[in-house]
Amino acid sequence: MLRKLMFVFITFALLLSACGTPAAPAPAPTPVTATDVPAVVGLTFTDGLGRTIKLAGPAQKIISLAPSNSEILFAVGAGKQVVGRDDFSDFPAEIKDVPSIGGMDKYNNEQIVALKPDLILMAEINNPEQVKGFENLGLTVFYLSNPKTIEDMYANLEIVSKLTGHEQETAVVIETLKNRVAAVDAKMGAVTTKPVVFYELDSTDPAKPYSIGPGTFVDLLITRAGGVDFSVAAGIKDAYPQVSAEQLVITNPDVIILGDSMWGVTVESVGQRPGWEKLKAVVAKQVYPFDDNLVSRPGPRLVDGLETLAKLLHPELFK
Amino acid sequence: MKKTSLPFLWTFGFLAIALLTSIAIGSVFISPWEVWRTLIGQPSTEAVQTILLSIRLPRTALIALVGAALAGSGAAYQGLFRNPLADPYLIGVASGAGLGAVLAMSIHWPYTNLGLLAIPAAAFLFSLLTVLLVYLFARVGTSVPVTNLILAGVAVSSFTGALTSFLMLRSTGELRHALSWLLGGVSLVGWSSILALIPYLAVGLGVLSLSGQALNLLQFGDEQAAQMGLDTRRAKFIIIVAASLVTAAAVAFAGIIGFIGLIVPHVMRIFWGPDYRRLIPLSILCGAGALLLADVLARILLAPQELPVGIVTALAGAPFFLWVLRRAKSLGHW
Repeated sequence: MLRKLMFVFITFALLLSACGTPAAPAPAPTPVTATDVPAVVGLTFTDGLGRTIKLAGPAQKIISLAPSNSEILFAVGAGKQVVGRDDFSDFPAEIKDVPSIGGMDKYNNEQIVALKPDLILMAEINNPEQVKGFENLGLTVFYLSNPKTIEDMYANLEIVSKLTGHEQETAVVIETLKNRVAAVDAKMGAVTTKPVVFYELDSTDPAKPYSIGPGTFVDLLITRAGGVDFSVAAGIKDAYPQVSAEQLVITNPDVIILGDSMWGVTVESVGQRPGWEKLKAVVAKQVYPFDDNLVSRPGPRLVDGLETLAKLLHPELFK
Repeated sequence: MKKTSLPFLWTFGFLAIALLTSIAIGSVFISPWEVWRTLIGQPSTEAVQTILLSIRLPRTALIALVGAALAGSGAAYQGLFRNPLADPYLIGVASGAGLGAVLAMSIHWPYTNLGLLAIPAAAFLFSLLTVLLVYLFARVGTSVPVTNLILAGVAVSSFTGALTSFLMLRSTGELRHALSWLLGGVSLVGWSSILALIPYLAVGLGVLSLSGQALNLLQFGDEQAAQMGLDTRRAKFIIIVAASLVTAAAVAFAGIIGFIGLIVPHVMRIFWGPDYRRLIPLSILCGAGALLLADVLARILLAPQELPVGIVTALAGAPFFLWVLRRAKSLGHW
């Protein structure tokens, strides 16, 4: 009886494995290069994972799987070429008209295939396994690495402009962004004192709020906007530290920026947290709500984030 | 003879229906006629071919294998521990796999075939290491009392679980990836993953299917089983190794999917009795079918969104089990 069963079982297992179509051959992996400026020859690109991408022409049916990519696509003028987006893409407002194909790592792959895109634009927020998965389906994927500096972000805009055929208008966009950043940099020359800035990411437990630390883009922007990151001032090394409220009392930041205000945290509520009411920033009313998307999405709005931060920290320079 | 093969006919039929449903249903509507035509090799549009053969078919195969693995090892654990609440994750496979996966996710692997295997490999390795740790803690001399296994399993699972949570908190960049992995489920599956999984499952589930008699004897207790001629230490060791191997492999590729390993063996027991020689193979077949149906639900309940399949098994499994229990009571089964 058992022998019969084993026979049936093994046959079944063999049938299952024989049912398989061989996986599409993977493109020969090129070694990962830390290049910020990709090689561009005709329409051949090297993406953030070191893969070589070839396009017959500028992509016309693009699926964006990251909110930052959606912002970049619209900024370079390729908005009309986007045929699918992820759930979290919400800027600019026009993107809401594009059908969403899922989010949180679970994408509607069948619909993606049905849309027949010629390019899927992914970012570091997506996993490399998903890139491989789409490759196996025969789709073209471009993985855009996160910029480490604002200048890297311009390079990303350039890449996307070449992928989509909007080089000239993007050059203008980049020029404008550069000018805006230069204007902020120029004003920073007149800065005498740099306020200590506590950027709050989460305060569900007000005794242990989350903040950002050295190595993050927010830290970079705060420094460029003429401030000192609280984590640096307090000697914290982690990128996303959970800070004790006691440390806040000791280091006593000059400004508190509520990066979690889009989740409903109000300025008034900060003063009501036990122990926070005596903080310098609360007493001097230097607590401000802030749109975290301006500093956390690696796209052109980082410049908006920089300007907003600079105006918050040094209003006297922007009169 | 007819009576003993009837349950297998039922479960095979169930599995066949589940397989066909899983291939035929998805977020893009493809008519059954078109599905049939594509499967038998007739040409159809490229999109339909890609969807059926590159998305649905590998996913169906993987889900069936994972369901079989979880239910088979769940039945074995229930027999081994003589405890109706035992599930495949009792002695640390899930928590170990979670730790391994989260650790692997905090490293940026190169985009090569090996690099892409890093997360499942790490999950697999750590889950087996965790089981080994539990086994070593639970050993008393030459025997491994099952109570010790359960206690050690709970303790080690809590510890690794805490480590995993700590790691997840510290690397907020990878938090999303880690969370979606822990919730279980498969999206795009390559045939290479399935081929990597098959040897472990074939060997492990084969061994478990053949351990039915040993498990039957173990129900009477270690001493009694030894007196009836069973080498209890060896039998327990083999069963633990086979069940852990199978579960670790399943979790490595599909994340942590609960309830299948707990409920399917019970349902089989209610319908067809507690003889482990039959229960394990039946659980294997029915587990495959059950997880396939859960995955179909995961795909269509909130279409075009997808639910993690672990949530569907929890939501659907518990009430279904209660219903089966009531029915069994009313029929006088216990």
